[in-house]
Amino acid sequence: MTDTTIHTEKLTKHYGDVPALVDLDLDIAAGEIFGFLGPNGAGKTTTIRTLMDEIRPTAGTASILGMDTHERSVEIRRHIGYVPGDLSMYPNLTGRDTLTYFANLRGGVDWSHVEELRDRLGADLDKKVGDLSSGNRQKVGLIQAFMNKPEVLIMDEPSTGLDPLVQREFQKMMREVAAEGTTIFLSSHTLSEVQRVAHRVGIIRHGRLMTTEAVADLRSKAIRTVSIHFTEPVNASAFDGIPGVREATSLNEHVTLSFDGQMETLLKVVTERFHVLDITTQEADLEEIFLTYYQDEEVNA
Amino acid sequence: MLATVFTKSTLDRWRGVIIAVVSLGLMLLMAMAVYRDFDLAIYDQLPAALREAMGIPEGADAAGLGIGVLFAFYGAMTMGGLAVSIGASSIAGEEKDGTIGILLGNPKSRSHVYVAKAVAMVSLIAVGAVLLWGATYAAASLLNVDLGEMNVGAYSFHLGINALFYGFLAMAVGSWTGRRGLASGVAAGVMVLSFFAVGILPLVENLADVAKAFPWYYFDSSQPVVNGVDWGHIGILGGGSAALGALGFVGINRRDLRGKSVGVTLVDRLRNDPRTRKLANRLAGAARVSRIWIKTASEHQGLLIVSSLAMFGVMGVMLAPIYAAMDETLLEFTKDLPQELFAFAGAQSGNMSTPEGFYEVESFGLMAPIAIMVVTIAIGARALAGEERQRTMGLLLANPVSRTRVLAEKTATMLAYGAVVGFATFAGVSIGSVIGGLGMSIANIGATSLLATLVGLVFGAVALALGAFTGSQKVAAFGAVAAALGFHLLTSIARLSEGLTGLGRLSPFHYYLTSDPLANGMPWGHGLVLTVILVALIVASVVAFNRRDLRQSG
Repeated sequence: MTDTTIHTEKLTKHYGDVPALVDLDLDIAAGEIFGFLGPNGAGKTTTIRTLMDEIRPTAGTASILGMDTHERSVEIRRHIGYVPGDLSMYPNLTGRDTLTYFANLRGGVDWSHVEELRDRLGADLDKKVGDLSSGNRQKVGLIQAFMNKPEVLIMDEPSTGLDPLVQREFQKMMREVAAEGTTIFLSSHTLSEVQRVAHRVGIIRHGRLMTTEAVADLRSKAIRTVSIHFTEPVNASAFDGIPGVREATSLNEHVTLSFDGQMETLLKVVTERFHVLDITTQEADLEEIFLTYYQDEEVNA
Repeated sequence: MLATVFTKSTLDRWRGVIIAVVSLGLMLLMAMAVYRDFDLAIYDQLPAALREAMGIPEGADAAGLGIGVLFAFYGAMTMGGLAVSIGASSIAGEEKDGTIGILLGNPKSRSHVYVAKAVAMVSLIAVGAVLLWGATYAAASLLNVDLGEMNVGAYSFHLGINALFYGFLAMAVGSWTGRRGLASGVAAGVMVLSFFAVGILPLVENLADVAKAFPWYYFDSSQPVVNGVDWGHIGILGGGSAALGALGFVGINRRDLRGKSVGVTLVDRLRNDPRTRKLANRLAGAARVSRIWIKTASEHQGLLIVSSLAMFGVMGVMLAPIYAAMDETLLEFTKDLPQELFAFAGAQSGNMSTPEGFYEVESFGLMAPIAIMVVTIAIGARALAGEERQRTMGLLLANPVSRTRVLAEKTATMLAYGAVVGFATFAGVSIGSVIGGLGMSIANIGATSLLATLVGLVFGAVALALGAFTGSQKVAAFGAVAAALGFHLLTSIARLSEGLTGLGRLSPFHYYLTSDPLANGMPWGHGLVLTVILVALIVASVVAFNRRDLRQSG
C-alpha cells in the first residue's frame, strides 16, 4: 500500500457562491479501502463527481493512477468501476442488456465473471431494470462496477437498499478485490460497513476534510465503556483523579466508567484498592466515534 | 386536498401557458403589422372552401387575417399541444415519475385527484384562451388596427374548447394505461391528423362531409370570428371532452396503479416466449445495446416508423389519387391567385393546378418538416438532456467514452433518422407521382425532400444544442419547437412584406421552399446554408457539452 492511486490537491468546488468542497487534500494508496464519511450535504458526492469528471473543480487538481481526472478522463475510465449515488439506469433495458451495453463500451469484460458476480449477489438479470426493486437494481449497479475487474472502484453509498446478507457478500467482495490490489473509495452512511472493510477513513463536513485516520487509530483514541464488578459496594468518587477516567457512575458493587486512557494504569489502580470479580470493556464502534466527533464539532462550532 | 392538488398542478404549468400566450401575442403583432400594409382585396375572390382550408374568414381585414392565420394554425396547435402535455402528465406523468403512490398515500380518493387535475387543466387552458383574447386586443390597439365587428372572444372560446378536447383525450388514455408517452402520442397524433383531414377533405369532391368526422372541424369551420359562438359545434367538442373526461375517471378508478415500472412491449413478450426468444433477442437483445448510436436508434424506432409511414403513405402516395379526385375548377382558380396567399401553408407556389404546387401546399409546406422534426427534435432533446434527466449520464460517462463521442454517436442517429423520414417522403411522393401519372421530376422531389430533411435536422440540432448548453430536456424540446414555430412565421410574413425580406433570411425556412425546388430543382446555395447552420449547431453543442458540469438531476 505504497503507490498513491487517488490524489487530490486543494480540490475546491463552488456552486455559484456556495462552497461545496474546500481545499481537499487526499492521498489514497493502491489496495487501500478508504471510507469517506460525512453527514448529508457534507460534500461526499461532490468529491466523487469531481473525481469522475462529471463536474469540474473551481480550483485545485485531482488525479487517479497518476492521470489528471479532467485531461485524461477517458483513459482513467478504462481502469475504473463506478457506482453513482442514487443509482439510476435505463428502465427499459433488462439487467443483462444494461451490463452488455456497458461491457461493449468498456471492452475486455469476461462474461463468466459477470455470471459469478450475479450468483454471488443473487441478481436477476432477466427483468427490466425499471421493474426491479431498489435493492435488486443496486445489485445490477454493483455488478457493472466490478465486472471489468477495475484497478480503482469509486462507490457512492453502494449498499443502499441491499439486504444484510447481500451487504455481507458485498463486503466480502470488496475485501477480496482490495487484497488483489484494487483501490476502493467508498462513500457510505453505513458505518458498520466502513468499520468492517475500510483501512482508513476520512471525515468531511461542510465541504472540508476534518480528519483522515486509520480505523485502528481512531478506535484506540476512542472512549471505551469499562464495567467493573467488585466484591463490595464502591463509591464512584473513588475513581476521581485516575488518568483517562472521564465519568464514573456506581450502583452497589457495579461501577461504569467512560475511559480513554491506558488500560494498564486503570487496572493497576483498581486492583490495588479493591477486590475485582469481573471486568468488561466495550470498544466504541465507528458510529459512536462519528457521532462523538460531530457532537464535539457542533459544540466547538 | 382537492385544492392542494389543484394548486400544485396549476402552479406546475402556469409558466408554459404564459410563455405560449406571450409568444402568440408577439406573433400576432407581427402578422397584423404585415397584413396592415397588404392589399387585401384578393381575399374576397377566394372560393369559400379554399378560404376555409386556409383558415381565413370572409370579408377579412388586416386584423382578421392576422387573427385568422394565427388562431387557425399556430394558436390552435400551441394551445392544443399545451393541453395534450398537461392532460398526459396529469395521471400518467405522476405514475412515470413514481409520485402517484405518495400522492395517493394521503387520505383522498383517486377520483378527487383526477377531478382536481382535470379542473386544473380546464382552468389553465381557460386562462390561456382569455389571455390570448386580451393579447389580440392589445396587439390591435398597439398597431391602431380596428377590430370592428370581429368576434375575437368567440374565436378564443372555440380555440380553448378545441384544445381541451385533445387534453381530455390525452388524460383519458393516460388514465387507462398509465403511459404518458402513449397518451401524448395518441392525442397529438389525432390532433395533427384531424387538422390535416379538415384542411384537405373539403377540397375533394364528395368527401367534404367526411371532414365532419374529425374533431378539428368543430373548431373553426363555423368561422366563429365572424359568426360568433356556434353552440352546436361547441356542444359537440364540449360533449366529447366531457365524455373523454368521464372515460378517464372510470379508467383511473378501475386499474392497478403502475409503480415506477415500465410497460410490457410486444418485443418483451416475444423475448419471454421460448419459441420466439432467440429471434427476439437477435432483434432487440444484445444487438440493440452494442453501440451508443444503435441503442439511441432503438429507443426511437416507434417514432421513426410512424413518421416515415405517415410521410410515405398518407402525405406521399395517397395524395396522388386525392389530387386526381379534386375539384378541377377549384384548383384552376388557385392558378391566378397571388402566391403570397400560401405563405402560411409554408408553400412557395400556391398554384394547385399543377401537381408540384399541390404537393408543396399539402405535403412539403408543413407536414414534411413537422414529420421530420418530430423525430429529430425528440432525439436531439433526449440525446444529452434526456440522459441527464434520467440520471444515467454519469454512469454512461463512467465508461471509457468521451463526451464528444457520446454526442457524436447520438447525433449520428439523429442524422440517420432524419434522413430516413426524408427518404420516405421522397419515395412516397415519387411513387405517388408515378402511379397517379402526375409526371413530377423525380430529381426535384429528391431535392425538395433533401431540403426538408436539412430543415428538420437544423431544428433537431437546435434541441441538441439547447440540451448541451443547459442539460434541461424541457428547455431543449420546447425551445426547439418554439424556434421552429417562430422562424416559420417569420418566413411566412417576410414573404408578405418587402420590408421584412432581409429579416426573413435569418430563418432556416427561408432556405427550404423559397426557391420552389419542386418546380425548379435543387438550390445548392440554400442547401449549403442549411448544412452550415446544422454543422455550426453541432459544433457548438460539442463545445458546450464538454465545458459544463453534468446536472445531477433533470
